[in-house]
Formats: sequence, structure tokens, C-alpha cells
Amino acid sequence: MIEVEGLTKRFVDRDAVANVSFFVPEGEVLGFLGPNGAGKTTTMRMITGFLPATSGRVRVAGLDVARDPLGVRARIGYLPENVALYPEMRVEEYLRFRAAVEGVPRGEVKARVDETSERCMVSDVRRQLVGTLSKGYRQRVGLAGALIHRPAVLILDEPTVGLDPRQIVKIRELITELGREHTVILSTHILPEVEQVCRRVLIIDDGKLVADGTPEQLRGGLSGAAELAVQLEAPEAEARAALAALPGAADVRGEGSGRFRVAVDGTSDLRREVFKLAVARGWVLLEMAQTVPSLEDVFLRLTTHDAEAGSESPVEEVANA
Amino acid sequence: MRKLFALVQRELLAYFSSPLAYVVLTAFLFINGYVFYLIVAFLNNPQVQAMAPLRLMFGGTIFFWLYLLFVVPVITMRLLAEERRTGTLEVLLTSPVSEGQVVIGKFLAAFVFYLFLWLPTWVYVAILASHAKIDFGPVWTGYLGIALLGLLFLSIGLLTSALVRNQIIAAILAFAVLVVVFSLGLVESLATGAALKGALGYMNLWGHMDDFAKGIVDTRHVVYDLSLTGLFLFLASKALEASKGR
Repeated sequence: MIEVEGLTKRFVDRDAVANVSFFVPEGEVLGFLGPNGAGKTTTMRMITGFLPATSGRVRVAGLDVARDPLGVRARIGYLPENVALYPEMRVEEYLRFRAAVEGVPRGEVKARVDETSERCMVSDVRRQLVGTLSKGYRQRVGLAGALIHRPAVLILDEPTVGLDPRQIVKIRELITELGREHTVILSTHILPEVEQVCRRVLIIDDGKLVADGTPEQLRGGLSGAAELAVQLEAPEAEARAALAALPGAADVRGEGSGRFRVAVDGTSDLRREVFKLAVARGWVLLEMAQTVPSLEDVFLRLTTHDAEAGSESPVEEVANA
Repeated sequence: MRKLFALVQRELLAYFSSPLAYVVLTAFLFINGYVFYLIVAFLNNPQVQAMAPLRLMFGGTIFFWLYLLFVVPVITMRLLAEERRTGTLEVLLTSPVSEGQVVIGKFLAAFVFYLFLWLPTWVYVAILASHAKIDFGPVWTGYLGIALLGLLFLSIGLLTSALVRNQIIAAILAFAVLVVVFSLGLVESLATGAALKGALGYMNLWGHMDDFAKGIVDTRHVVYDLSLTGLFLFLASKALEASKGR
């Protein structure tokens, strides 16, 4: 549905987005992760055609953004980060305006406005001026506006920023539901959101794509992060050697009184093997717990090089000297 | 066409839901009423040569121009600059409407508002008609001249609004450009050389307006106004395209 090939955006002195390529098949909910300023918004703006790319190509539903901008715009529903609305319009007026501009047939406008306001939970404020709405309602009105023409592709730039926890839950539910009918790209820097909502995750850092896969794949790709905590009634040295010999065990740390921490490669699950080992050797297994790396670990591992580089920056050295 | 209509409608709603519209309208009526009074008082003096009062009303006095030079930037400053500042432009330009449509929509709305400003001045026509027999030909052409001038001035205002993010700056820029366009014709007398004099004379808006107010529809004036309007609208749409994402 969305093909991005070698997309690059060069601002005066730096590449905000450098050679990013990915493909989003129809019906997928894609999470676009990255620290602030990594290039998420820039990439999304290039997909919508609002920002021309320096080089590279974007195709939406087979249409090239550079060649057929209006065709692409008609197929996209876009919710920008700051959710800009016209404060002097009533919610209903705004939605009718968006419907007309997005090309909803005249006869269907009323039904579509009704349906969309119902869906985005803004029916109770339909007669209210947009300028008087709370942040949560504004966000949902913006979302309703992006949805009104039932676009094939929905692009949502940080749709839950600034909402209270209850509203966040509601919006996430809505996005999950939307993911059944639309192809969705969702940018965020809130990790649990991605795990809940997205089937696939892209991590972008400093303009470059650093990871692409399902949340499970990304966690699995991080070797040594999964850990198995085991407590055995067994001779310390013997148990340690036996655990280390298990296939998939990367490292074993003894913590005394029969407690061990086994670092596990990739996605291997050693629990079965540990149990069998204990049975075979006649050891008593007192405790066993597996910890899987969170997406947060993956994210931090992939995107923290900046902070490290920053602490050794020449500017600081000059300042110290 | 329907998209264009929606754009115009939204823009008009924005005009009439802001206090600005009413302030402009009130000031406009106040100044016009004052000028009308002055003109009638002036023409009542038996020593003054008789003249059609509406000819003086339509561009015959400096008040007309001063006010127009001020009010047009105020009408147009918000149009694109504000949308860019608040970010609604991003929503608009990611929906299936072209930059050209956005520009034309904004322009038409501004023009409708401008015509609305002039609507109450028919009261003066009615007052004059109730006291004397007046020739309606020059009245109609006078309003035609006002409309054409409006098109030209508004297109300049729209262009400056497309260029910047701050509406005050857009207004000041528009005012500066308008003053130049308006005064081009006035420096005719300073020009040496027949060609330059002729060119500046062609651009004399005061002269244009006087012709219209006398009942003369000179196609050269019409062509001048419309072609410049077209040019400025084209530039505005290009400026909008070039400034996307900025």
C-alpha cells in the first residue's frame, strides 16, 4: 500500500531523513518510533506530499506522490502532530467542511459526519465551537476529520500526545479498530502504545532506519537481553557448568545459595531444558522466572548512541580546557 | 467546484465570526459617511462648479484611496499567513485540493467580503436619488471600477499573505506594495521621456477610477486590472507551493 524507497530530506546543513526505505502492506498498523527530532514527522510529511523529498520515491496505492499529488492526497487521511483546527467553526461545520474538501459525495456528507462523530466520540460536542474544546476532544475532532472520507491510508502523527490516561486508552482502542479497515502509520515515542496497537515497528534515529520488524522480532534480535532466573538445590559448580552447557545459554552468573542468572540468546526459551536437567540430575527446582526484554530495552539500545556521543563532544572539551 | 465553494464558505464564516469584520465595516461606514457629508456640503456652495457627487465619492478624493490602501491589507493579511502559523495549512494542503484552488477560494471570499463592505454605500445613492435626478450609468460603472480595483488590491494582499507566517508582517508588506502600485501613476508628471510617461500614465489608478466614475469603461483599464490580478494570484499559488512544509 505504501512504498518508500531511498527517501531523503536534506535541510540546509544536515539530512533530516537519510535514505529510508520500507513497505507497508494493505491493512497493516505500522508503528513509527524514534526519539524527538529523529525525523518521524519529516518522513510522514513527505509521504503525504506536504514536504517535497530531496530524493527518493514514495508511492501510495501505486501512485507516485511527486507525480500525482492530488491522487495521493485523496487516499490519505492525515492527522498532523499539532492537530490544527479552525477555532471559529463548530465541530459539525468543521467536519462538513472537511468532507467537502476531501471529496465526499454531497448526498453522503450528513451520514458520514454522523457516523464519524459517533465513532470518534465527539457526538456530544457537535454544536460546540472548536476553539472551546479540551485537548482530548480537539484530538478526536482532528481524527474524525482525517477519517471522514474513509481513506485507504491513515497517517497519525503522535495521536495520543497531551491526552489524559483514559483518553489515551480510548484513542488506542479506536486506532486498533481502524487498523481493521485502513492501513495505518502511527508515530509515537510512547513504547507501550506501539506494543498494544502495532503489528510492525520501524525505529528511526537521527534520520536513519535502525530497526524494522514485529515487536517480537525486535526483542528477539537483541541478544543477551532475555534472562532466566533459576534457583536450584544442587552443588554450585556442577549446576553452573550444566546450565552453561545448555544450547542457547550465553552466560551464567551465580548469585549464591543456588541462585543463577542465565543470559539467553535471542528468543530461545530454556525453561523446558532447565526443568529436564533438574529432573535428570535429581536436583530440586525451587524457582524459575524468565524475563523478556521490553521494546523499551530495544529502543534504548538502538537510539542512545547520541547521548554517549554528546558527552564527549568537542564543545565540552573546549569548555573544560 | 464544490471544494472551491466549501473553501469560500469557510473563509466567509471566518470573516464574519471575527470582530475584525465588524471593526472594518464600522470604520468604513464612518469614513464614507463623513466623506459623503463633506462632498455634499462642498457642492452646496453656489460658487463651486457643479459636479456629480458620486464622481467625487468614487475615487475623487484622497480619503477613498487612503482608506482602500489600509483596509485591503487588513482584509487579506489573515488569509494564508494565519493558516500557516496555526498549522491548518498542513491539513488543507494534504487534502485533495490544489494550491491554486486554495488561493482562488481565499481570493473569492475576500472579494465577497470587499463587495459587502461597499454594499451600504448604496444608501448614499438612494439619498441623492431621492433629492435629484441622477444618471445611473456612471453609478454602475463607478461600482465596476471599485470592483476591479478591489480584485487588483486583494490579489496583492493575498500574495504577501502567502509569503509570510505573521499576519501583521503580511499586512505591512501588502500596504508597501499597494502604495507603490498606487503611486506609480502619480509620478507620471515627474517622468521624462514619452515612453515612460505613457507607461506610467497607463498605470495611473486614480485616472482609471476617475474614468469609471465618469461613466467611461475603458478596456485598457479593465485589462490592466485583470491581468495584474491574474499575475498576483499565480504568484500567490506558486509561493504557496514553494513554502510547503516550511
